[in-house]
Amino acid sequence: MNEKERDVIVETVSRVMIPFIQLYALYVIIHGSGGPGGGFQGGVVFASSFILYVIAFNLAGGRKRFPESANTLFSSLGLYIYGGIGLLAILFTRGMAQYLNYGFIPFTSHFEENRALGMDFVEMGIGITVMAIIASIFFDLAQREEPVGEKEEK
Amino acid sequence: MIETRWFNLIIIGLLCGLFIYVAEDIPPFGDPEAPTIKYVELFQLELTDIEGIGENSIPSRLIQKLKERGFPPITRIETTSRTQNEWNAFISKEEPYYPKEEKYYFLRKEGNLLKVYRYAFVVRWIEKGLKETAVPNMVTYGLADYRGYDTLGETTVIFTAGVSVILLLRRKGRL
Repeated sequence: MNEKERDVIVETVSRVMIPFIQLYALYVIIHGSGGPGGGFQGGVVFASSFILYVIAFNLAGGRKRFPESANTLFSSLGLYIYGGIGLLAILFTRGMAQYLNYGFIPFTSHFEENRALGMDFVEMGIGITVMAIIASIFFDLAQREEPVGEKEEK
Repeated sequence: MIETRWFNLIIIGLLCGLFIYVAEDIPPFGDPEAPTIKYVELFQLELTDIEGIGENSIPSRLIQKLKERGFPPITRIETTSRTQNEWNAFISKEEPYYPKEEKYYFLRKEGNLLKVYRYAFVVRWIEKGLKETAVPNMVTYGLADYRGYDTLGETTVIFTAGVSVILLLRRKGRL
């Protein structure tokens, strides 16, 4: 986006709105067990804040705030959390419990509370993965064709 | 051109009518006694000594019929609180780490017929979910606990889609 096309109103409003959007996304992820919400929805809301930033400012700035390396790391980190929580149930009972049976992970002393906490961590994992993947797809689609890359292919 | 427009309008109107009819035909949402979501009829028995059914006595013909149909055997019978002619029958499940009995059959007397129903999974989902998982949101304990494997697969699908887009657009097909 050129310097001439910048709009003061849009930039100011999105600068104010983006932290609140991200806070709301975290709220939706954390409160997935108590009310409406969950990992998928919260992740998409979080990714939409990056999309708003890129639309209001520019693509390079968005890439600077959320670099490619962090994006790739986060997209697999959520799945590692999910799979790791499932594996913890096997590790803590030495193979007695099934995979993803959160009740046997000793977070607290109550079986049911353990299940609730395991569900919370799993929702966080889902949220991280969905956020990173949606942002990654958006950045890849918004990228212009780089002439350097085309020359390399020829 | 005008005829096509009227034709489209008629088609849209018919579709709207169909949707309204279907929406009116749905059983009321959240009604716990709606028969379509609560239980399915299995079979019915003609019993002469139907009075003998109770808390401790299970008719032998019922046990035999369940056995030859391949259904799990009844361990306990309980009268429902609503009327005298309906019973809940429990089975003991063979899950290794949940050795609890589960409400499985619904028996109802009509004349000298004993109708045997099987409860839907939804009943267990609604009644036992909060007690088993300490999470008040019915959707979340279904998504993340009862169907945890399914959600792991869904997250993997999203991850695979993202990796494919990275491979095709950012790296332009080069591995």
